[in-house]
Amino acid sequence: MSKTFDLGVLYSRSGTYQLLSEALFTGAMSAIESVNANHDLPVSFNPIVRDPAGELTNYAPMCAEILSSSNAKHVVGCVTSSSRKEVIPELDRAQATLWYNVPYEGFETSARVVYSHAATNQNILPLLGWATRHFGMSVYLVGSNYIWGWETCRVMRTRLEAADGSVLGERYLPLGDTSVESLIEDIEKSRPKFILNSLVGASSYAFIKAYAELGQRDPYFASDNCPLLSCNLTEAELPVLGNAAEGLISVGPSFRKNPTSNGEGSSLERTAFQSVLTLAEALAHGASGPFDSYLAQHGARYGIDPATQHKSLDVHIAQVRNSAFKILHSWSDIAPDPYLTRPSRHPKFSDPMLKVVQA
Amino acid sequence: MSTQIDIAGLEGARAIVLHPAHDRLQILLRQLRAIGLEAETAWPKLPASAITADFILYDTDAGHDAQFPWASGQSPMPMIALVGSEAPGRIEWASKTGADALLVKPLAASGVFASLLMARQSFERRKALLAEIGALRDRVSARQTIVQAVSLLAKKTGSEETAYDDLRQLAMAWKMTMEDAAVQIVKHSETTGANRGIC
Repeated sequence: MSKTFDLGVLYSRSGTYQLLSEALFTGAMSAIESVNANHDLPVSFNPIVRDPAGELTNYAPMCAEILSSSNAKHVVGCVTSSSRKEVIPELDRAQATLWYNVPYEGFETSARVVYSHAATNQNILPLLGWATRHFGMSVYLVGSNYIWGWETCRVMRTRLEAADGSVLGERYLPLGDTSVESLIEDIEKSRPKFILNSLVGASSYAFIKAYAELGQRDPYFASDNCPLLSCNLTEAELPVLGNAAEGLISVGPSFRKNPTSNGEGSSLERTAFQSVLTLAEALAHGASGPFDSYLAQHGARYGIDPATQHKSLDVHIAQVRNSAFKILHSWSDIAPDPYLTRPSRHPKFSDPMLKVVQA
Repeated sequence: MSTQIDIAGLEGARAIVLHPAHDRLQILLRQLRAIGLEAETAWPKLPASAITADFILYDTDAGHDAQFPWASGQSPMPMIALVGSEAPGRIEWASKTGADALLVKPLAASGVFASLLMARQSFERRKALLAEIGALRDRVSARQTIVQAVSLLAKKTGSEETAYDDLRQLAMAWKMTMEDAAVQIVKHSETTGANRGIC
């Protein structure tokens, strides 16, 4: 006999990071469908959907509403770190769990969150290590003006400077801001070896397009010489970028071999899908009571590190070539280290970093 | 000392939480372990092995001096106060025991990572300052010894002017620093009332 569980779904279906949330929403909803269609599983889900529409202040009340108006003890949702931090107090009050399916900057291990996508040592660190070996030791940092942008850039800065590299510039744009001209001018002047793009949504698309134009004007900024790197670019955003996406480099737990024209199958979609399946398995296995206590005991069977509630993941560096991500370097089964305190869990490189040769 | 906060090195670091049994202790222990530390609790006595722990987190509500095997403020590792009551007397005690950072109760996950980094940073700074003060004290006291030795030598040879030079010659002959030579001369004069066979 199948037992039905309410399941909160809290993704913004509009707003500046809509493409990301749409992929996550699709993944979560199709997993719910697939669980409900699977009669071998003694579990089915009743989705309780709320749409914060990209407004930070909507997240906490909507999360609270899901938890008070239904029997939901689990919510799949949130894209930005700010929104995740908004809902944690609500989850605490209701002893509920958020399945967070987006790469993020680490330095958090809430007992109320399962962090299913990549954290610090699974995105920023390997990307930096790889880029310094292929392009050099000077970077320009660009990010959206909130935690994700600040922290990814900070980790890059401190790691690079500790290795005698240099940061030639660091600029932040408000979420949704698309005026990138002065930023492009500054990059043109500073001529870094590569650029970290931690912009999100519309700002990112405007910047990527303007940078592609710069690359056509000045071959120094062509993607084979001075590429744009991102820790959060997936297939979901390729359609909106068109040709400007060529040469972009990203890091993620999975990339699709054959992309579709509507950006399906990104790691965001797959992660949201997998999270719902994992939850279904855990509930079928009899998980009840505080979910963090269940994970402390059984997390490992789902690839979830009981101490941090983060997942062990494959890490791939990939570049957009002919409208598809081509994988350039891979590590498998990298255990999470959200606080960067466990160097043994950091992806290893066999070759040393390139050193700056002073003329 | 490096000004950048160093995160590495917390992995496997040993933390002892000196706190009476409490429901919320588990939240603190979970967070310490999530960050990568090995965490254990103790109350009311610290185990002997506490002397080699990397961090001590201690309750300031029920804590008292006799719990620590070192002099107040002389802990050999960073100390984090777990503060419940904000009565001035308790804060004063937290400060006197040498708290390098503090976490305000109720015990929670938030703030633990920040307080570990702050505590270690401020402990290292305190240690570096104490070492520097110690070295400066030694140098000041060595200077006094040199003055004493020079005046002893001056008495012997009758010349203030050459006494300092004499001390330098002696130090060279004895193959030691001038400070050490001065100590020898002062010691010798204290025990025998005479200079060490120089004349």
